[in-house]
Order: sequence, then structure tokens, then C-alpha cells
Amino acid sequence: MLWYKSWLDTRWRFLIGLTLLMFSAAGVVLAYPRVIKLLPLVPTADDGGELGRRIREAAELMRDYRGYVFAQWFRQNLLQMWTIFAVLLGSGGLLAQGSGGGVLFTLSMPATRNRLLGVRAAAGLAELLALAFVPTLLLPLLSPAVGESYGVGDALIHGACLFGAGSVFFSLAFLLSTSYDDLWRPLLITLAAAVVLALCGQVFRQLSRYSVFTVMSGETYFRTGHLPWLGLLASLTASAAMLYFATVNLARRDF
Amino acid sequence: MADSFVIETADLRKQYGDVEALRGLSLQVPAGSICGFLGRNGAGKTTTIKVLLGMARPTSGSAVVFGLPADEQKASVDIRRRTGFVSDEKDLYDSMNVEEMIRFTAPFFPRWRGDLEQRYLRRFELPPDRKVKALSRGMRTKLALLLALCRGAELLILDEPTSGLDPAMTEEALQALVTHVAGEEMTVFFSSHQIAEVDQIADHVAIIDRGRVVLAGALDDLRENFRRIQLVFDGDAPDAAFRGTGVARVRRKGRVLTVLASARAEAILDEARALNPVSVDVVPVTLKEIFLETVSAED
Repeated sequence: MLWYKSWLDTRWRFLIGLTLLMFSAAGVVLAYPRVIKLLPLVPTADDGGELGRRIREAAELMRDYRGYVFAQWFRQNLLQMWTIFAVLLGSGGLLAQGSGGGVLFTLSMPATRNRLLGVRAAAGLAELLALAFVPTLLLPLLSPAVGESYGVGDALIHGACLFGAGSVFFSLAFLLSTSYDDLWRPLLITLAAAVVLALCGQVFRQLSRYSVFTVMSGETYFRTGHLPWLGLLASLTASAAMLYFATVNLARRDF
Repeated sequence: MADSFVIETADLRKQYGDVEALRGLSLQVPAGSICGFLGRNGAGKTTTIKVLLGMARPTSGSAVVFGLPADEQKASVDIRRRTGFVSDEKDLYDSMNVEEMIRFTAPFFPRWRGDLEQRYLRRFELPPDRKVKALSRGMRTKLALLLALCRGAELLILDEPTSGLDPAMTEEALQALVTHVAGEEMTVFFSSHQIAEVDQIADHVAIIDRGRVVLAGALDDLRENFRRIQLVFDGDAPDAAFRGTGVARVRRKGRVLTVLASARAEAILDEARALNPVSVDVVPVTLKEIFLETVSAED
């Protein structure tokens, strides 16, 4: 029943995320023919500065469909929206049930705090997994509609990179939620951390290959065909550590 | 000896930052009793209950329920499996309806009483499809009681179960509780600052003040042992110091000396008569007076 409770607590965040991401995935695929028509205009764009460099790089990637999907979906739409929903799903939980939300009722159940937290984390991660894979698997399904094809294997590997590395944002929000009684502080702090990390990757280009967002996008796999094992391992280790500290934090809390 | 008490705490202390919520609380609740836990607001009642249920960890001292240490995670799960609980705020899940709350709670308790569930649903007139957040305060209390009573629990811990209820609803809730307990072998430990309701349903009482139990025992014994001895003198009352145990409080005002005896009233009376008062009155004391005298004695 704790699973059911976790589902009730997070279902709207999950369903809204799933709907938005699926629409976005469909939009990316269906917009491809129009994007192709616009590509010849790109060289006329202002080529000075970081923005011009990024436009040229994106245009270069989009010359084939796989590159287009990577640039538009895995490196942009999915990456940004999924991160936001990872933070949303990680925020809240046991403490944030707040007044009238049943925290004492939950604690009066014959279940250890580790179990309460474990179920909440597992349910959130399962929802995140679905958010990473379900919209992504729409790509191979819809691509024939625009006369293209996209490999299921590619979709799964990019989804795995996104989930494996991006779970750090879920875990950070989850950890903070065991310290703060409200939904908003874990949410805002983790989003702020994500924005700072993203900006660091933009400003310090030489550091961008170490960025969690680079690992999440599966750029290494896209360019070399190899999985970013080191980045994934580091992210998963950080995630596991944060989830562990969340249990330690909750175990010592008084209610 | 330990088996005859469902709840036992010894020198229990709980500190929140600079605030000492419990200051050496020692308490024993006999099995099968209905024990009222009386105290002023902020006396430490809710903190005690939270410690007993593993929601707060004691700073020092021991809290044992069913012979199990309340501060150990595994033991605490066992304690909660055998305990029904209603919190002060009637904490429930606002997003669920009545039926969902019941379906959520029941699987946690192997001894869940489906027969009682149906009975209380009818008796409390709880609409199964109504969201918890749409329930009135009274209905919410009834649902919280249903969820506690149907657990097949050996111990009920109720934190201010009737707070915020009107007198009619309070009476209904108390009657439901008394009827339920009469038909089951269970212990009830309920906190309150409503002396009348403790007087109405409890057979034992523990009075807590500033984090310590200042008086505890069977209610009948307290009523039997507590006496107010009023002495009137023809001049100013003497500044008498009574020897021996049983003197809870001595008040001197003009010609009147009032002694509150918590035990040995006869012996104290003999001692009082030796002061040659003009008149001596011995009157029984109500629970309210005992509470007020005990608590104010601490001021």
C-alpha cells in the first residue's frame, strides 16, 4: 500500500511530465521536414560569438536525422524537461506532507522509516525511468511518418544515459526533502544547482565534457558509439550516496 | 512485574535544542487500564506519545511498550503493529477518500477487524467516497478513531482525541471509545487537558507538568486518598510545618490553614488537631482540584 500512496502523491507530476514529454517527442519528429527546409538559411546567420557557434554546430548536426534527434531531443528538449520533472518527483515526500497531509499517520504505520523512504524513492525512480524511456521510444515509432528511421537501440542507450546520470537531480531533491519540511526549498535549491551546472558547462567550454548534462545527453555515445561509463558510474555513485544520506537523515529526524 | 505494565518509562528526557520537553519522565500504565494523561498545553504529553511510538528519539532514559524498547527501529515497528493511534491533528491523507484510507491502512495490520470497520462506518455515518479534506473536524475525528479501533490493537494511544470537537461530538466519540474498550481486552492511554473527559472514562490517571509526571495512580485511589483539611483558628493561622509524607500542599491565609493531603489523611488530621484550631473540616477533592493543586504546586 505504500506503493499506492507514493503513486497517489506523485501521479499528477508524473502524468503531466509524461504527457508533455510525449507531445514534445512527437513535435520533434514531425517538425523535421520543416527544419530541413530551413537549414540552408543557417549560414546567413550571424556567426560571431557563442550563439553563432552553437547555431552552426546544431545545423551541422541536423544534416542527418540521427544528428537532428540528438541535437533537438536528447541534448535539448528531453534533457531540460526531464531534469525539471526529476527534481519535481524527488521533492516532497514524507516530511512535506505537512499539516493535514498525514506525516504522523504514516509514521504510526508498522513500517520502518527505511521502508517508507525506500518505497518512495523506488516509486519516484520508476516514474523517472518511464519518463526517460516512453517518450524516447516514440521516436522509432513515429519516425517513419516523416520518412526517416531511428534505431530502438539508440533510443534505449540515450534513455539509459539520461536516467543513469540524471538521477543525481532526483536524489539531491530527495535528500533535501528529508531536511526541509516543505516542497519548495528542495525543489528550488535543486533547480538552482542544475542551472548553475548548466551555466558552468556553457561558460567553461573545456569543462563541458565532464558535465552531468553531457553524460545525460549521451553525447559520447552519439559521437563515438561508446557509453560514458565513467560519467555514468560517477553519477550513479553520487545518486546512491545521496539516497543513503537521505535514509540516515530521516532516521535521526524527530517528528 | 514488567508484564503488568503495557507502557513503562524511566527518567525519560527529550531535548529539542534549548527546550527540555521531557525532564525525567517516569510513567507506568497498567495493562487493561484506561489511563488519562493529563497536563497543561506544552507539558510534554505529545512528546511522550511520539517517543512511545518511535516518532521522536529520547535524549536519555528508557521508554518501553509491551516490554519492547521504543527507540529501537525493529521493536518500534512491532509496537506500532500492536497499537492504534490517533494524533492531535487527526493527521490523515487529504488526497484520499474514506474508503481509500481504510484500504490503505488495513493491510498493515494482520488483525484488522473487518466487522468493526463496517460497524463503525455505519455508526459514524462516514461516506466512503468523500475525500478526507472535505470531511468536517468531527467526521475526521471519527475516521481517525475508526482507523485506530479496527487495527485489532492491544493498546490505543490517543493524543487529545476530542480536541476541537463540540460537546455532542465529544460525547459521541467518548461513548464509542468506552463501548469499544468494554468489548475488547485492551489498554487505552489518552492525553487530554480536558479533566471532565478523563474523569468520565479513565480508571487511571497520570498528571504531567513541565516534562515530569507529578502524580499517577488509580483514579479511585486518588479520590480516596486526597483530602482537603481546612483548619480555622481564632487568630492568624500558625506557620505549621507538617512532618511525614502525604502533605501535598499547605496554604495559609489569615485565620485559615488549608492542607491538601495526598495520603495518610488521618495522620495529618491528628497532627493538625494538635495545633488547636477552632474548627476542622475534611472534604473530598475532585480530580479537577487534584489536577490544579498538583500542577500549581509546581509553579
